[in-house]
Amino acid sequence: MDSTALEAKVFDLIGYIASSARNLLDETPAYGPFRLVDAASRLVAILKEAGVQSPRLTALRQEIDRGKYSVTVGPDEFKAFLDALVDTFVDYLDPDESPRM
Amino acid sequence: MDLYAAIRGRRSVRRFSSTPIDQAILERIVGAATWAPSGGNAQTWRFVIVTEPTRIAKLKTVSPGLLGDPGAVVAVCQDLADARAKGSTLGEVLLAPCDAAMAAQNLLLAAYAEGLGTCPVASFTHRAVARLLKLPETVEPVLLVSVGVPDETPEAPARKTEGIVHWEVYGG
Repeated sequence: MDSTALEAKVFDLIGYIASSARNLLDETPAYGPFRLVDAASRLVAILKEAGVQSPRLTALRQEIDRGKYSVTVGPDEFKAFLDALVDTFVDYLDPDESPRM
Repeated sequence: MDLYAAIRGRRSVRRFSSTPIDQAILERIVGAATWAPSGGNAQTWRFVIVTEPTRIAKLKTVSPGLLGDPGAVVAVCQDLADARAKGSTLGEVLLAPCDAAMAAQNLLLAAYAEGLGTCPVASFTHRAVARLLKLPETVEPVLLVSVGVPDETPEAPARKTEGIVHWEVYGG
């Protein structure tokens, strides 16, 4: 991906984030965290297209995309997904630290 | 297709294949939308069918709820000046969004009968969509409906039954 294409992708991502910010003033509060993790997934996708990738970024994106729509299932399911996502992140951040029980 | 089978089989699809959609099919499913009931037979809905990939991409940029790469997006709109003229305040405030929703449901079921996936979206920035679609000042987008060849078959979410339906009186 050349710099022009990368700029266009980032431009789109900014549009997604900015329009989300505006809409979230009126939307269900749970859509806030949903848009945050979805934006993270989109960022990882852009980085991959730009040639920047790693196993942990790929794994985090897969976990986000697998679980993000739990926001439509119920608050408990969405919270469990986000807790697990944070645990996964900490696993990569500090592999020696076990998840809290 | 059996109507109940369509009602129960339709899903909100957020992943589409890149297969283009025939214009004739889009005309049929939007035609089905116009057969919905409307308060006072006002028919103040307006539909903008978007198929150009670059325009869909622009819509996606300002519509966080518009996910995947649909072959088309149908903007279900209401002419609020027309709705007010025909139905006064009730027409503008209540009937217009209700009519748009009923039209959209027809569209969703008709698309399902055509083998297409859809997702109705309310998470979009109204003023941005209005600009991108060159909507007149009195025409307001109510829903965006993504339409495409489905690349997934989502599980049906469980239906709530407790406390939903009441007979004769609430709580009965």
